[in-house]
Amino acid sequence: MSSVRVQELTKSFTVKYKQAGLAGSLRSLFAPQTEEKVAVQPLDFTIEQGEVLAFLGPNGAGKSTTIKMLTGILHPTSGSAEVLGFNPWQERQKLAFHVGSVFGQKSQLWYHLPPVDTFELMARIYEIPRGEFLKRRDQLVERFELGPYLNTTVRKLSLGERMRCEIAAALLHRPQIVFLDEPTIGLDVVVKQKIRDLIREMNREEGTTLFLTSHDAGDVEQLCKRVIVINHGQVILDDSVSNMKREFLTHKTIHLKLAELPQPIALPGVTVVKQKGTGMKLSVDTALTSIETVLSFIVTHYKLVDVTIEDPSMEEIITHIYERTGKGGV
Amino acid sequence: MDVSREKTLREPRVSSLALQVAKYTAVGKITVRNNLAYLYDYLIRSLFLLVILYIFAQLWRVTYDGIGTATISGYTFEQLLWYLVFAEAMVLSSPRLARRIEDEVKKGDVAYQLTRPVSYLLFQYAQYMGEAYVLVPVHLLVGGALGTMMFGVPHFGWGWIGFLLISVGAFTVNFLLNMILALTSFWIEETRGLEFVYYKIVFTLGGMLLPLEMFGGTVRQIADWLPFQCVVYFPSKTAVQFDAGEIGHMLGVQAVWAAVLTVCLTLIYRKGVKKLNVNGG
Repeated sequence: MSSVRVQELTKSFTVKYKQAGLAGSLRSLFAPQTEEKVAVQPLDFTIEQGEVLAFLGPNGAGKSTTIKMLTGILHPTSGSAEVLGFNPWQERQKLAFHVGSVFGQKSQLWYHLPPVDTFELMARIYEIPRGEFLKRRDQLVERFELGPYLNTTVRKLSLGERMRCEIAAALLHRPQIVFLDEPTIGLDVVVKQKIRDLIREMNREEGTTLFLTSHDAGDVEQLCKRVIVINHGQVILDDSVSNMKREFLTHKTIHLKLAELPQPIALPGVTVVKQKGTGMKLSVDTALTSIETVLSFIVTHYKLVDVTIEDPSMEEIITHIYERTGKGGV
Repeated sequence: MDVSREKTLREPRVSSLALQVAKYTAVGKITVRNNLAYLYDYLIRSLFLLVILYIFAQLWRVTYDGIGTATISGYTFEQLLWYLVFAEAMVLSSPRLARRIEDEVKKGDVAYQLTRPVSYLLFQYAQYMGEAYVLVPVHLLVGGALGTMMFGVPHFGWGWIGFLLISVGAFTVNFLLNMILALTSFWIEETRGLEFVYYKIVFTLGGMLLPLEMFGGTVRQIADWLPFQCVVYFPSKTAVQFDAGEIGHMLGVQAVWAAVLTVCLTLIYRKGVKKLNVNGG
């Protein structure tokens, strides 16, 4: 049974086009010129019930436009979509009872009140029977370890604590599908890990379909089995995460700060991208040499001041995809 | 997902009226509690009210002395000052919707609210009422302190209950008018200018500056045919000159305006959401 089915979905916006200068402003006042901007080109994909999908793409690729269409906020220009058997834009209210959403940069908790009050409100909004709500709340409190924060006003919570409450609030009504938009943005490594564990557990135990957008390659690697990459409103990759990792997440970048000038490094797949004094930037092909080997070499041969390891950025991955698949090329 | 589960999802959901009422009451309640956090801010801000009322008191004292009669248009000096206390409380307690809605439309928060099973307009209404009824007691307390100092403890009796009753309709009409203004932000960038003009009209034709009796003639007739009197004049007049016979009339006028404005608001909102649906706001 599929949870989301999207066929030939497109969306274009009419944008007012303003010319520069005062004369241009006046002209556009009387004879506004508009132009058609295509946000989503024919999009086709299916998500199975219980699947965890990463929906990736650079800013402006059409990610949030797609989410808005799937939740029924935006009406498409053409094509069709079905979410949990509903037509999102014709049955938005009905669908809303079964959908959860977490937007990393927007809060749904009431700022001056403890999270427990927002939970109460959610119970009313989603019309959850009292007994069921209390049971569910206690279950989420236990699983998310919210006990200590439940009665603390939201403004006194740290970002990580707040985010856990946000996710719990979005799950109270047992949604069948959850849209997670950048759920780990701005969080430190430990908290990120905690949030990922919780999301994974929820998917495993409740079979919730997850639709995740993120800039964080770690989120994708650890949470998702399947990935769809879009760019300029078009699917440029629809594959398993392990395939994507093997093909496109092959390189990691290591930034080093050393206490003294380094001796040359000679490991297969490791290239020095830049070296300036005691600063060094390495590119590691993890298929040839594991990151562990490289790090142990560095620790034994260099006097280390600082080290950071980076995954390739979304932009690099996309360039890479274009190179491999020969698609698009913008 | 098997067939039976699919069926339960698609089953028509019976959202009984009781559940709907509980939903929006919960929104109102949580707004009240959230706003109580600002109680001190509100109290301090409302001290400004004392200055305004003091100036009015001086002006009117001179006016009454100059004319030399005990009442003007049926109001004693004491009643007139208390009228102003209630009028100021009504206006100052009305949440400033334009700014909030404009922000929500611009930042796209409206869209996110639409992903929940709530009506956006009713959600806003519940919030508005919640906030207003946190503020009214604060402003009445501060304004009333001045009134009490000048004239002693007032004896409005039924006036208090009448005020409470009429204020519900007053805030409702004010919400509807303000929401209509605020929703123009779907089309125009800046709605605060409109709000400014709106409150100038309430100031005059709404009876905030003077009870409407004092206008007399054409202005009074015009005011009688406009919704603004529902917002300030009705509740303030009821408080200081309670008249059981007039309450029915006032409630009736408020109900008619509320109905007309609800239709207008719903139409405007639908058009706005359609624009949002089509063009992403």
